[in-house]
Amino acid sequence: MNTEFLSQQNIVLITTAVITGTSARLLVLKQDYRQYPSYPNGYLIHIVTAIIAAFLGAVAIPALLTKNFVAVTFLSLAIQQFRDIRKMERDSLKDLENTEYTYRGNAYIDGIAKTFESRNYFALVVSFLTALTIQLLNYKIIWVNVVSGVIAGAISTYLLKRFSKGKTIGDIADVEMAEVQVKGSELYVNDIYVSNLLGSENASKMYQEEGIAAIIYPREEHFRITLDNFGQRQAALFETTRAMGVKRYSFTRKDYKQGRVVITLVPIIKDTDAFIEAIKKTPLLENVKKSHSVMETNLIGRE
Amino acid sequence: MGREATMKPDYEILAYITMNSKRVLGGKAQALLAKNEEEQRIIAQDIAKALKADTVKLKCGDYMVIRV
Repeated sequence: MNTEFLSQQNIVLITTAVITGTSARLLVLKQDYRQYPSYPNGYLIHIVTAIIAAFLGAVAIPALLTKNFVAVTFLSLAIQQFRDIRKMERDSLKDLENTEYTYRGNAYIDGIAKTFESRNYFALVVSFLTALTIQLLNYKIIWVNVVSGVIAGAISTYLLKRFSKGKTIGDIADVEMAEVQVKGSELYVNDIYVSNLLGSENASKMYQEEGIAAIIYPREEHFRITLDNFGQRQAALFETTRAMGVKRYSFTRKDYKQGRVVITLVPIIKDTDAFIEAIKKTPLLENVKKSHSVMETNLIGRE
Repeated sequence: MGREATMKPDYEILAYITMNSKRVLGGKAQALLAKNEEEQRIIAQDIAKALKADTVKLKCGDYMVIRV
């Protein structure tokens, strides 16, 4: 009868691995300046998914030890679940597009959805490595096993977090406040033409008095490839509007000659430091990043 | 801001307010003839307010009410 139940060693292994894996997910599930997932239900969904992911990672080792190789294939099921999370997040953010101050844009949404998927792998990988460490060590004092497992989990969390951390606009460009000029119904920022939508007196007066603007200067010429991308500029505009609110109007415009990018709006909260910070901390979208080293690779002998 | 020039535009011209009847050639947008500049400005502003749209003053003096 007792053989049907898990041994104490396996229970400790699974429990430690599940807790470590879930904690790894919790560490990267934060309400940051981008405000996602800022909703209590969002937290709950991701915590529950993390527990399941961690559980799958934890039971893989005991399953292998009992020669239950078929059981390990359920990991493929987990991957399918995580892909569903990406889809769910993408659909959810797309549904919200029309209610935001400005569009996130499909490129940004895709990036956010990918991040959510990858962070579930955190829980799976960390809990798997924790379980593996405990099993390999298999010391007679149970607490030694637990502490070793937790340390292995913490190290793998740190490495994964470091590995998955993306760059931001602030890493490749300088952002400075700029002067808003309204000439008739046209809006200029440091002599860069932005829009002629200010046809009414109210609009031009409001922009003159309350509008703020910043210019992004790429540090290298090739960074323009990233910064000029429409999705990237839209993401920066979204972050600023989300951080400060929009009373009326928000524009982004690029200057073809020098590669400068303008972000300007009439905010609800006029805080220039927050404005610059929001632009600088906008993540560089994965789909617009260009790696010079990869582009120079010559692996198959092409001349 | 609207999309790039090469992308599908997502703006709509809702009204065109002019003082020159020769410029009214037709089209989807409502074209209105104003008597003077003051009336032209007020019509543009009122339509923009009602439709929650923006006004553009063209260099020729005409107004367009557009939604971006």
